[in-house]
Amino acid sequence: MNFEYSKKEEKFRIEVRNWLKETLPKYLSEKVRKYQRLTKEDYELFMNNLSKKGWIAWHWPEEYGGTGWNAIEKHIFEEEIVKASAPRIVPFGVNMLGPVLIEFGSEEQKNYYLPRILNNEDWWAQGYSEPGAGSDLASLKTTAINKGDHYLVNGQKTWTTLGHHADKIFCLVKTDLNVKPQLGISFLLIDMYSPGVEVKPIITLDGEHEVNEVWFTDVKVPKKNLVGKENEGWTYAKYLLTFERTGIAGVPNSKSALNHLKMVSRKSMKNGKPLIEDPMFSSEVAELEIDLLAMEIFNLRTVSAATEGKAPGMESSLLKIKGTLVRQKTTELLRKALGPQALPYLPEQFDEGWNEMPIGPEYAGPIAKQYFNMRKISIYGGSNEIQKNIVAKASFGL
Amino acid sequence: MDFSLSEERKMLQETVARFFENSYKDIKKRSENLDMNDGFSREFWKESSNLGVISGLISPIFGGLGGSGEDISIIFELIGKSLCIEPFLSSGLLSSTILSSIKNPKTELINQIIDGELLVSFAHMEMNNRYDDHFVESKAFFENENWKINGSKSFVINGDSADKVIISARIEGKINDKNGIGLFLVDNNQINNRSYNTIDGYRSAELNFDNINAELLCKDDLALECIIKANSTGALALSAEAVGIMQVCFDLTLEYLKTRKQFGKSIGSFQSIQHRMVDMMLEIEQVRSAVMLASSTFETNSSTRDKNISAAKNLVGRVGKLIAEESIQLHGGIAMTWEYSVAHYAKRLIMIDHLMGDADYHRDRFKLLSSN
Repeated sequence: MNFEYSKKEEKFRIEVRNWLKETLPKYLSEKVRKYQRLTKEDYELFMNNLSKKGWIAWHWPEEYGGTGWNAIEKHIFEEEIVKASAPRIVPFGVNMLGPVLIEFGSEEQKNYYLPRILNNEDWWAQGYSEPGAGSDLASLKTTAINKGDHYLVNGQKTWTTLGHHADKIFCLVKTDLNVKPQLGISFLLIDMYSPGVEVKPIITLDGEHEVNEVWFTDVKVPKKNLVGKENEGWTYAKYLLTFERTGIAGVPNSKSALNHLKMVSRKSMKNGKPLIEDPMFSSEVAELEIDLLAMEIFNLRTVSAATEGKAPGMESSLLKIKGTLVRQKTTELLRKALGPQALPYLPEQFDEGWNEMPIGPEYAGPIAKQYFNMRKISIYGGSNEIQKNIVAKASFGL
Repeated sequence: MDFSLSEERKMLQETVARFFENSYKDIKKRSENLDMNDGFSREFWKESSNLGVISGLISPIFGGLGGSGEDISIIFELIGKSLCIEPFLSSGLLSSTILSSIKNPKTELINQIIDGELLVSFAHMEMNNRYDDHFVESKAFFENENWKINGSKSFVINGDSADKVIISARIEGKINDKNGIGLFLVDNNQINNRSYNTIDGYRSAELNFDNINAELLCKDDLALECIIKANSTGALALSAEAVGIMQVCFDLTLEYLKTRKQFGKSIGSFQSIQHRMVDMMLEIEQVRSAVMLASSTFETNSSTRDKNISAAKNLVGRVGKLIAEESIQLHGGIAMTWEYSVAHYAKRLIMIDHLMGDADYHRDRFKLLSSN
């Protein structure tokens, strides 16, 4: 047993780190660090850099333009991106649709879409959830009626992250209403500029516009936009959901949040002393740090098993649960650390170029907002309760 | 990065596992052993020695065959699985750690321990020193060319059957001074002991001694270092033992959920119960991970070693409570009986938090070591 990174892996880390240092503009990492709103151009700038470097599709097989990295290298890459305060890689095209097309798409679809994903020519969105289909995804109601050379799509998708930037959306739609829900679903690629597509913003509890509703009214979708076979979309959907994701535990994000928490609790004062010297508070921080330390090893164990070809099954679900709880706990302690300084809410503070005096310390501004925002992570991507159902079903034999 | 065990270690694991499975078949066997005169089976102890289980805890430098963090963890995880009560911790690990860490290591005594012929207990705890490394009230003084000690020691595991005892005593300074402590080796027949069973089945003793002859092993910085090392090593071993126990608790509970029927179906079919099992499974993986990290850094510098051991032992304390309590709760009434094994596992798991520093102690030590 040896938990040290190899020389080769350390060298790789330095390569990624140096590349990020050279190519990531200061203003952008500054924005990310301050939780300022990112524009479409901000995301695109970083992703275009990755494209040019050949690193955008780091999960893909090499023959399709992937990097050929093993799970440890992918893990290092993800860690360095977070450490450098780079914007997140918008996952819908490259991490979600790409692997599905590679596995199930037609030659024509692969030839057309994959290079466009590699070059960030299309901004993809994910059309899964509906108002009546959350955890029970198969109960979705959006219909696609076969009209010969095209489908006629009607219905509504929701929680569409960054859908207001999207050029295209991959959707789960009902193509057969007379069978068991799972058997009548198809996987359809829809152009967001088609007549009848409408995007409406959803403002979340932190006052931000990140997610949307997407409405389809008599939208014509060409037949060639069907991925795989009609009525077999559920298989593809599940493939996408279980697609190997080394980053599911969010260890790098939690590590950087923990460092931030320590910084804030050194500056926050209680009874004239830094809060970190308060035994009760520092105990909560220490136990969080211990949980994170254990989770980092748990994550690496899973990552390392993946490099040996063992597909992470229930480990992904367990890591998703623990990862979200740990991350949420850091935001909770950050919020507590601020005391009353957590109260002021200045939405304009998160606009680019805002340079007025903050109320209280500058770091205080985003913390409560971030706490509320992070409630989402135990809900999305299969809620933690759904993850528990998955583990129980897969490994208990009850 | 490599998370797998070497071939040698796999072999150690398989051999010891087979041995424990055969000799420690069920909870009845354990009851028989703990009803014996010494609170454990001398015969089993001798067999353990023949098979190399004791030497697996000790470095080749002192005649053993193992002694690394991984060796200790492998063996103690299996001890946890079988709930074995023989003196692996007291003699095999704690005393041999001290005897090998002093300036002139007592290799001969260590070899006798390895051979299963000598039992040595480590007596550091006192009635009111909780888990502190340097809180020592027992006194030592030098008189007529001889060291003598007087005072009392508490909760000494196997303190009744040990041939010799390593005792911490204060040579000078105040009760909680870090300096001025000595470690002494004494023959147990000079000591009055009152022996009793602990709630988790171990044999323990209260020792009283009044101006008895003692051999000084080390003092001051080295003595403190030895105590810290023994306590850390013990905390690692207990953490690994806890992993084994937790896994058994989980497996027994899962098995029971399948067989126990209420409302016309197996109780494992209820979602609320399934979710609690997932929570247990997840936390056990967390503990397993923390123990793996602590074992892998056992041979590094003492602050990394102790920090990772404290992380593991803190998590063991927190998660141990969860697993013990949930195992009993999910079993229901049957877990309240002496006859059924899960209760004994749960008791040991909870009491592990009362040895070598509890969750709070190790959280505070983790804090201290992280801030340096």
